[in-house]
Amino acid sequence: MLVHSLFFYFFSAITVFSAIMVTVSRNTVYSVFFLILVFVSVSILFIMIGAEFLGMIMLIVYVGAVAVLFLFVVMMLNVTEQITKRATTKGLINNISVASIVGMIIFLELLVVVGGWKYKESFVSLSDINLYSSNTHMLGNVLYTDYIHLFQIAGMILLIAMIGAITLTFNKRENVKRQNYFRQIQREKNDGVSLVDVETGKGIKIDD
Amino acid sequence: MEYAIIFLPLIGAFLSGFFGKSIDDKYCAILTSTLVAISGILSLFVFYEVLTHDYSSNKLIYNWISSGDFKANWSIKIDPLTSVMLVVVSVISSIIHFYSIGYMDHDQHKPRFMAYLSLFTFAMLTLVTADNFLQLFFGWEGVGLCSYLLIGFWYKKPAANAAAIKAFIVNRVGDFGFAIGIFLIFFFFGTVNYNEVFQQVPLLAQKSIIFLGIEFNLITLICLLLFVGSMGKSAQILLHTWLPDAMEGPTPVSALIHAATMVTAGVFLVVRCSPIFEYSQVALNVVALVGMITAFFAATVALVQNDIKKIIAYSTCSQLGYMFFAAGIGAYHVAIFHLFTHAFFKALLFLGSGCVIHSFNEEQDIRSMGGVWKKIPYTYTLMVIGTLALTGFPFLSGYYSKEAIIEFSYFKGSTIGYYAVAVGIITALITALYSWRLIFKTFHGRYNNKKNNLSSIQESSLTMLIPSSLLAVGAIITGAILKEIFIGENTNFWNNSILFLQSIHHDHLPLWLLIITPIIIIIAIPTAYYLFIKNEKILRNFVLKNQVLYNFLVNKWYFDELYNFIFVEPIKKIGLFFWKKGDINTIDRYGPEGLSKLVKVLSDKAVNFQNGYLYHYAFVMLVGFSVLLTYLILVK
Amino acid sequence: MIEIGLGHYLTLAAIIFIIGVIGIFLNRKNVIIILMSIELILLAVNINLVSFSIYLQDLVGQIFTMFILTVAAAEAAVGLAIIVIYYKNKGSIHVEQISSLKG
Repeated sequence: MLVHSLFFYFFSAITVFSAIMVTVSRNTVYSVFFLILVFVSVSILFIMIGAEFLGMIMLIVYVGAVAVLFLFVVMMLNVTEQITKRATTKGLINNISVASIVGMIIFLELLVVVGGWKYKESFVSLSDINLYSSNTHMLGNVLYTDYIHLFQIAGMILLIAMIGAITLTFNKRENVKRQNYFRQIQREKNDGVSLVDVETGKGIKIDD
Repeated sequence: MEYAIIFLPLIGAFLSGFFGKSIDDKYCAILTSTLVAISGILSLFVFYEVLTHDYSSNKLIYNWISSGDFKANWSIKIDPLTSVMLVVVSVISSIIHFYSIGYMDHDQHKPRFMAYLSLFTFAMLTLVTADNFLQLFFGWEGVGLCSYLLIGFWYKKPAANAAAIKAFIVNRVGDFGFAIGIFLIFFFFGTVNYNEVFQQVPLLAQKSIIFLGIEFNLITLICLLLFVGSMGKSAQILLHTWLPDAMEGPTPVSALIHAATMVTAGVFLVVRCSPIFEYSQVALNVVALVGMITAFFAATVALVQNDIKKIIAYSTCSQLGYMFFAAGIGAYHVAIFHLFTHAFFKALLFLGSGCVIHSFNEEQDIRSMGGVWKKIPYTYTLMVIGTLALTGFPFLSGYYSKEAIIEFSYFKGSTIGYYAVAVGIITALITALYSWRLIFKTFHGRYNNKKNNLSSIQESSLTMLIPSSLLAVGAIITGAILKEIFIGENTNFWNNSILFLQSIHHDHLPLWLLIITPIIIIIAIPTAYYLFIKNEKILRNFVLKNQVLYNFLVNKWYFDELYNFIFVEPIKKIGLFFWKKGDINTIDRYGPEGLSKLVKVLSDKAVNFQNGYLYHYAFVMLVGFSVLLTYLILVK
Repeated sequence: MIEIGLGHYLTLAAIIFIIGVIGIFLNRKNVIIILMSIELILLAVNINLVSFSIYLQDLVGQIFTMFILTVAAAEAAVGLAIIVIYYKNKGSIHVEQISSLKG
């Protein structure tokens, strides 16, 4: 148990520290790196707690896709050179203390609300965790049977997001010649070549 | 018939006032004059009826107020006193209407003028035919209003506006006393109708009340307060300051209002309330005293004035003093007689001076006139007749009435009576002096006018001369004709319209008294001629030596400056204070202006909530969420 | 404190949530930080769900976590695409210059 708690405290400290550094650090690329660190440490926590599939998925999806996407955009938009002052007086929020006070209030309330929740003694779970097969196995059992609709809808969402991202950023370049090989193949002799009698001295009009 | 007398002028005023633009100017003037003339002829009929058949009536027009014990009606009361006043008012008003057609010939606002004149006539007629104090007060205020409108007729002149306001305000002061008098009458007598009040007066003759902490005899107090109203209306001393300034109005206005009718309303009031006044010797003495002081004061001031109309105005003031002290010594009928004759010759003097002003092309200063008696003989004759009547030249009308006043003062016999005789004679001398001064300076001597040529002085038009001649006829004959009727020994004309508690004895006058006044005023004629035309140096030296006295008289005994210092400046300062500090700084600042400024400030601050930054909006949402959460946690 | 229970995980999730929320409006730099803070918020919710699932021995929490994962990825992609387009139109993604909603 000691090891367990030691691990927990260590990794949660890293998490919290990195989370703070995400918002605070001056260089945007550093912020992305700290975000990656947050994801990694949370995934370790997940593995520790017994949901190892989810931890691995988090690593693959969050770190491998989302964070890399962030990095791409950061590099593309040239934001690394923007280093601004810390606290300007624009807008209503010109004081970190105001924000921190509000944050503390919400945090305490969260604790009070969630922590003081009374849970039912005899909780009938919908899907029991069977501790005798792996997390992956259990998830697979449930996901494709009881939650199949949600699964499909999640797929739809992904599809739509993909289409949306492409629609937003796609710009068709004009004046670029491309090959349309279907038309190339379907060309026949009589609309590819035509014989014309040419008189001397006069040219030919070619309408294209 | 009485309805016609009262309402024809009102119809004339209405038509002229509202439709004067549609009807041509000339027709408008003729219409109103005709209506008032009809009213005048009808009032002569009424007078005749009263004279021969003792006609008296009280016709009800409308039940005005009937609230508990307080009953006041619109009605027309005809009795001897009323009939005399009706004749005076309507005849002179109609003559002046016709005169104004000529005088106001080149004025563009003739319909308005005629409307105001007719309205004034209506108000004055309502005043004299009232049978209760409330209608009297209505007419009182009505003539005050018309006086204001007519004095300020040429409203583009600032001096005229100021004079009109002054007249109205000084009148108001008098009206305030008058109103308190009426309140006291209602409070103690329970009614404001003449008959009932007069019946109850003997019962309350000895009552005394505490008013403002001082104990007064009730009747004395009421009479004094009513007399304050008369002082304001008839320009007696202390409340006289408006009369000379009222000469800013056109001359017909001065003739009608300030010579013949409105200023006599005060005398009418005192005589009408003779049943009340007779029970208070103190009040009568006060009336007589004030009348004497006024007569003397106005005559002295008139001696050194240079504006032709102002001289005649002060002369009016002085003659009103005569009437009041006649009333004060108990000879009410003599006061009315003098009122009657005075109306004629004073109106004649004013209209004549109007002709003079017209001939001299709007010149009003008598130092710039002179030597034209051959050029404008008709005007000259009219003015001379008027002056003779005014000074009391034997056998003209003024002689009978003025002599009567002095006689009755002598008959009274008390200290007041003898003082009155002395003051009357001295004032008659001064009156003669300034009246002839006016005539000589205007018509004799050297031609002093710098602006006009001697050859351009012409006679006035017939429309102006004929009405004046009518008045001249009246000034000459009314005295002789009406003397026996009004003030004769055995007359029963007045019946019960005037009350005499003690009948006045008609002993024989000592001879010296009978002839002293005519002699004085006849001697005054050549004296005035000598002093003012032939040998002006005597007077000039006299003035140089007594500059202070001369200034005192020229500045009207410094009354205007005194009132300005005591009343006008402090009130202006108080008004300024209330306006600046009270109104602007306090009420406006915390009321409308404060609210609008507050709204602006708050909205300026509120605009900052929407500054377009998304993170700001998120923050506000977060704060709102935390507040909600806190509330839910704490409450639950 | 030695015994790690549900509460510890919930506290951790709360802290990360708060950091994400504050990060949204406290940054002065650029919009990408906002997107990263949103990812942090979603991550905190994930931690919550997983810890509850383990504690209550119910697999629903983990199923739901997977879906949230999916949605988060999709939303990050679309959001970044929007940022790219915005940058192409406006030239910069500095937070204080995005105030067209002002009024």
